Parts: sequence; structure tokens; C-alpha cells
Amino acid sequence: MAPPPLGPLYVGIDLGTTNSAAAVFDGERVSVVRNAQGATVTPSVVRIDKQGRTTVGTRARRFIEQDPTNTAAEFKRLMGTDRAIEFPAAATRKKPEELSAEILKALRQDIQDQLGVTVERAVISVPALFELPQSAATSEAARLAGFQRVELLQEPIASALAAGWSADDDGGGTWLVFDLGGGTFDASLLETRDGLLRVVGHDGDNFLGGRDFDWVITEHLAAQLSVVPSRKNAEHAGALRALRLAAEDAKIELSRGDRAQVTLAQPLVIDGQDVEVDLELSRATVERLCTPLVDRALEVCVRLLQANGLGPGKLAKLVLVGGPTVMPIVRQRVAARLEAPIAEGHDPMTLVAQGAALYAATASLDGRAAGVAPPTGCQVWLQYPAVSSDLTPHVVGKVIGPHGQGDLNATPSRIKLVRTDGTWSSPEATVAPDGTFVMSVTLLPRRACTFELVATHGGERIAVSPPAITIVQGLTIGDPPLSRTLGVALANGHVQTYLERGAPLPARRTFTHHTVETVARGSKDSVLRIPIVQGEMSQAHLCRLVGTLDIGGDVVTETVPTGSAVEVTIELDRGGRLAARALVPVINQVFEHVAHLLVPDAAPEALDASIRDLRRQLMDLRTDAFRHGLTHVIEKLDHLEARLSEAERDIDAAHGGDADAAQRARRALLDVDATMAEADLARKWPELEAEARSLAIAASSTVGLHGSDAERALLQEVLAAIDKARRDKDAAELERQMRLAQRLSSAAFNRTAEAWEWYFESAASEVSSATDLPRAHKLVTEGKQAVDRGDTESLRKIVKALWNLLPEDSESRKRGFDSGVR
Amino acid sequence: MNQIAENPFFVLAISVDASRIEIEREATKLLGMLELDFAGAKSYATPLGPRPRTTESVRAAVAALRDPYQRLVAELWARHAPATTYVPVEPETSPDVSHDGARRALGWRP
Repeated sequence: MAPPPLGPLYVGIDLGTTNSAAAVFDGERVSVVRNAQGATVTPSVVRIDKQGRTTVGTRARRFIEQDPTNTAAEFKRLMGTDRAIEFPAAATRKKPEELSAEILKALRQDIQDQLGVTVERAVISVPALFELPQSAATSEAARLAGFQRVELLQEPIASALAAGWSADDDGGGTWLVFDLGGGTFDASLLETRDGLLRVVGHDGDNFLGGRDFDWVITEHLAAQLSVVPSRKNAEHAGALRALRLAAEDAKIELSRGDRAQVTLAQPLVIDGQDVEVDLELSRATVERLCTPLVDRALEVCVRLLQANGLGPGKLAKLVLVGGPTVMPIVRQRVAARLEAPIAEGHDPMTLVAQGAALYAATASLDGRAAGVAPPTGCQVWLQYPAVSSDLTPHVVGKVIGPHGQGDLNATPSRIKLVRTDGTWSSPEATVAPDGTFVMSVTLLPRRACTFELVATHGGERIAVSPPAITIVQGLTIGDPPLSRTLGVALANGHVQTYLERGAPLPARRTFTHHTVETVARGSKDSVLRIPIVQGEMSQAHLCRLVGTLDIGGDVVTETVPTGSAVEVTIELDRGGRLAARALVPVINQVFEHVAHLLVPDAAPEALDASIRDLRRQLMDLRTDAFRHGLTHVIEKLDHLEARLSEAERDIDAAHGGDADAAQRARRALLDVDATMAEADLARKWPELEAEARSLAIAASSTVGLHGSDAERALLQEVLAAIDKARRDKDAAELERQMRLAQRLSSAAFNRTAEAWEWYFESAASEVSSATDLPRAHKLVTEGKQAVDRGDTESLRKIVKALWNLLPEDSESRKRGFDSGVR
Repeated sequence: MNQIAENPFFVLAISVDASRIEIEREATKLLGMLELDFAGAKSYATPLGPRPRTTESVRAAVAALRDPYQRLVAELWARHAPATTYVPVEPETSPDVSHDGARRALGWRP
């Protein structure tokens, strides 16, 4: 065991689907932590034997074949679901986060064994497209493993940080991180400039990984056996598992050789028959089988590049991460298709953990258990970046007061920082009467610099605590960005966005909604539902439901009438943990409990129904596209056909009891649904284009008349973007830009008195369908009086109140996850 | 309104020509000052009067300025900010605005 480090120790953990790793950064050097077996990666496998003893890592992996029912692997893919994993020998069930906690405990122990440090804080990486329930489950796993505080970091940012940290040049440019893990694929576009790392965009497939490569090889091998095992049949699971392990070994062997023998020592038992396995596999076959999967990942990359206005050949560098990227076919196809050099010299298996450790330093998250030495001298609170890309960052401080045995009146009046290499010293700063001071320090490029605090009073040196600080100069990244837009589904089926994708975390936002029906006090059936969704689409049913805030009649102190205001606050911490709160002012009650923060269950029967429905819609769209000769739509639909066939295979496996495949199918169907909505939009292109033209004219007129200078300037940009989207025939982008133009126009138009008179007339014409007729009629009368008086402010309030009384149709509410607010 | 009152350049009290490093430097300094309860860091000046500064607003401002498009928009608003308080309106030159078709084209309710 090495002597414990004297300075801070930053810890990063890559909690992977197949393998996990830990790394530490001491301010100078990043090192990968080795486990008890001396390996840098620990298989994410947990076994619980009949005595209830838990085994983790390589030792547990050995039992996957021998004792599969009591050995769990790949549980990361079920994080955030309510699926418990059975361990029949010990008669126990464990949630995925409890199993992940076992892996984290093992890694934590490895750090302690190797470095003699008890770790309480760490950064744990998660896939970029993890949804909130999955992130929340990861934080819970860390808590169960004994960590006091963790921050979650998206895997591609971690890899880029690690790759960028060791890069010799800081030439800038755009990079693509191609992260193909065991279970997920992430593609991230990053830019480095002035030592700052920025995520330009990311995309991915939450259910594409090395495991899928293993499955296609397994299926190929299975088809050659005398009795073919089926994923649909739960009784064949054992045979398939053994074959899959052999397939995985053969795949690794074929990364180097041209041929591999797949032989099992024991015959497989399928349908009561012994089936011998002795097959030959060639690299060419494996490459042929895996090419469609590599291409699927490449399609994601091309889509990401296109979305950011980049073509192949425009990338400065490609960083490959994850075990499957060691396969020659992956490296060749990726480099050829994206026309960029692959950054060499990085270990694809531990790069993520290394990046997480570096990030822990930028977030000043020292992993060591809380302080050992009591402060001596005058205590000073200091704020400074532990890692800085800036060569001259500020150090901000506040003198708190004397400690220990010194003179209680001796507090410093002047303070300076002296770099311990003796070549630089800051000018002396004067400590303000409230004890505060600000200084600037000079760092040496790509080095850790230690500065001694020299405090004086009347020329006399005063001891201060801490006596010195260390700042590392290097690549940095700011707050972790939110990976998917978060909002509340409304009763009209649309989404009120709270936090946009890319928003820095932590973040909090409040909006006021209005109830669409009465919540009767004491009635259990009467529930106000506030669904929280994640996704980039403006229609709620195309987003993922990640939680609901339910306010039932049994918990309200008074009846909440229709149209009552509800102030909803959504909050996310740096680790992606969600908190939601609703204040109902009319009864002065706050509700905080977010229910169902789970990835929805995917029952095979429900998946069957969804896929039937999608196939029918796809056929309708295809017929229509052929009739109108829309070749670009037909291409899109062909791609969907392939995705549906894949989903069908997963649904078959789901019928055979594979919960992971069921989740994968659920997401695939959701993606197909969203893409179909886009294709539908493209089909309506002529109408959309005409709509865009008339919108452009109307917006120019309104903003020209009523808008501010800035609004006019912005509208010019939006109109240019509308033109570009029309030329590119990009329906989704055109719709987005049209929404922006509408927003600018509305802002300008709403400043006029005429606007509210017009809104009032429209709302009044629908008053017969209001949910509260007497109140609506009263509002109409008051509105007429306000119009006569020319009282725009009152009219505005009346119109908004009237809107709240107009109903939403039941179909829209269904699409809005039964939302009870507008 | 938010584009002026919450303009990232005003939140960070920096010039619209500030470099990326200057933005990060100021943001880090302000976050430190807010953490240590510096009185002077708790508000910032805008053309609409002083506004409260929080760690969240500083983080949001620096994140916005890292994105080239958002920075451009923020620059536009910051440059034009004083002019936004008054814009002369001459309705008689706008027959189109009173036209219902135009409103429908703009997607106004209903």
C-alpha cells in the first residue's frame, strides 16, 4: 500500500454496464486504481450465495455460467426501474441500485487498500442520455455504498476531459467522442478553446452496446446447433447465456486473430436434449454480423454532425471509448465514415474513470474523509478554482477570526500569496473591515502551483489557516449540462418547458399553471396530476414521463376550484436528482412528494399493442408518401421499418422474460413514434411551407410596428433561419423557427391594447363551453366594461381568467399524461 | 424583459466584448464572493435598475455565454438595452395587423 497522499485526492468512478473502474487524481497525476486481482477494470457482476454472502467482480463473473440464477450482471440497464433481481439461493431480492452499490463498495475498498484513504466523495459517470430516474438510482447506489456526497458526470464529458488533459497541443477544434460501452452508445461533439471544454451537442442510443454485438454473434451460433434455442422461451435462457459467454470470448479473440473455435466443455441442455457446441467462427463473419450495429452508431454520429452544421472530414479528432471500440471493424468503419484521425494513446476501458477523477478536481470535490488536523492560527475562508484553465484566476477570501492559542486580537490587515517555487508573489491586498479580500494569482501552464498565504498586521506576520492552497492549471469544464429538456405536460397535450437541454446544473425554475378541474376535498378519486416529462418534443406524448406530482382530494385542506393557480417549482441538483414542489395559493398548501420516479414498466402485451399500432400508422404514411412521390419521407420510413423489426425481436425476448429487452423495445417504440411524427410533418411540407410564408409576412409587420430594436434584429435572424430551413426542407427546424417567430410577434403584439380586445372577443365567443358558466359570464360582462373604459390592464387579467375556464378535450389530456394543469 | 434584466453581461458585470477567459474568470470570482457573502456581489446594475444576483443566475449567465448563439442574442440585447424602454408606434401605417388572417398565421389564440 502506498503512503496516504498529503494533499487532496480526487476520485472518479466509471460505473459501467459490463465493467467498472476507479481512478484518482492528486493534482499532478491521474492513476487508475487496481483491484485485489491487480486488474484496472472490475466486472460489474454480483453474486449472492446461499449463505447470503456477496461476491463482486471477477470472482462473481466466474459464476455466471455455473450459477446463473444467483449471479447478476448488466443490472445497470435496469437502473431506475422497479424490477428487483432474484437470488433464490439466499431467498432474497435486490434492486438494481443495491447491486450497483455493491460494485461501488468494492471500488471504494480498492482505493482504500491501494492508497490508504477512506473515500467519502466522488464523481460517478453516467451515460449522457440517462433519464432522471436512472440518475436518481445511481445517486442512491452511491449513498448505499457509503459515499457522503457524489456528483454525476456524463460519460462523454469525462472521456473528453481525460483525452484533452493529456493532449500535447491545445489547438482547439471540434472533437467527437465515440463511446460504445457494454450497454449504451453516446456520441458527443466537443470543442476546446482557451483551455475550456464545451459540449457542443450530443446524441446517442441508450440501448446499443457491446452486449448487442454479443447477441448477434450468439444468435448466429445458436442457429447452427442441432436444437436451436429461442430467446422467446424462458427455459432456454441458461443455454443462451452459456453460448453468449463463449461468443463474447470469441469476439475478443477475433480482435487479434482471423479464426476462433467456440467449444463448450459441457453440452448444452435444450428441450431435454444434450447439444454439443463445437463451432468455428471467422473474423469476417463477426464483422458481417456486427456491421449493421456499427452503422447504427455511425448514423447517430452523422445525425449529430448534421445537427451542428458539420460534415464528415470536419472533425479535428475522434476519441474512441469502451471495450467494443477495440474491435478492428469498429475502428476502421468509424475512421472511414467520419474521415477523422483517431486519438491514440488512451486506454478505452479506463478513460471515463480518469476523466471523472479530473472533473472531481474541477468541482473541488476532495474525496478524502473530512479533515483530520484542527485549524491553527487565524482562520480564513477561501474560494478559488482547484483546477483553472485561466492562467490568472482570482482567489476570494474572508478572514473569520483567530483560533487556537494565539492573540485573539491579531487578525491580518494585509495578505498576499507567494508561489512556493519562489518565482512569483502577488501584490499585497488590503483586508476590508468586514474581513473580505480579492486577489489574482499567476499559474504555470499545465502544472499544479502551491501558494503560501502570507498575512500581516502592522508589519507582523500572522499565522493563518489554511497556510497554503494549490491550484492546477489545465483543461476545465463548467457546470454539468442537463442532457434532456425537462418540463410539465399540460392538459392540452403540450409541454411547458422548465429547463432546456444544456441548462447548467443545479437549476430551479417556477411557473404558474391553472387547474382544469376541481379537486374536491375528501374525494379520493379526485386527483390533480402534474406530470413531469423529459424530451425535446413539444408534444407531451412524444416525451418520457419521469415523475408525477399528484395532489389528491384526500390531502387538500379545502376544495380547489377549477382555474385555481398552482405554482410548480422543479429543481435539479448537480447530480441530476429531481425535486418538484407545488404551491396552491388558494388553500395555502405546499405539496412536495414526487411519485413514480421510475422508468415506466414495459409489459410485453402493451408492447405488442404499441407495435401493431405503429405498423398501421407506418403503412398509412408510406401509402401517402408514395402517392405524393415524397422520396425523402419514404427513406425515413424505410429506416423506421428496420427499427420496428429490431423492436419486434426484443419484444419476443421480453415474452421470454428478458426485462432488459422489454425496456429496450419500449424506448425504441417511443423513438419510432417521435420520428414518425417528424415524417408526418415532412409529408405536410407544402402546407407547412405556405404557413411559414404567411407567418413571415405577419411577423415582419407586427414586430416592425410594435417590436423593440432588439426584437427586430432577432426577427431578421429568425427569418433567415426560416429561409434556410425551407431551402433544406427541414420540417422540424422550420417548425422550431416558426415558433420563435410567433413568440417574438406575440411579445410585440401583446403590448398593444388592440391585442387584448381581440383575444377577449375570441374567448367570449367560446364562453358557452366554459367549465364554470356563471363565472365565465361574469367575466365577459366585466370584460365588456373594461373595453368601454379602455382599461387594458384589467382586460388582460379578465382574458387570462377566461382562458382558464375554457375546457381541454379529453384526447389532448390523454396525450398530456392526464395532466390536470394548463 | 428578462433579456434585459437577466442579461448575462449585466449579471456578470462585464463588457459585451469580454473574452471567454474573462467571462469564466469573472464568474468564478463572483461565485466565490457570493459563497463568502460579499455584500457588493449580491446585486447587479441593469438599465431597469439593480437586480439581485444569485449563484444560479451567475451559473446560468456563464453557461449562456459559452454558447455562441446565446451569446449573440445576449450581445444584441445588451447593446440595444437602453433603447428598449421606448419604441415609437404608428398604428396607421399597419393595416395588416388588424387583419384576422395575419393573427391566425401567427398562431394566436384561439
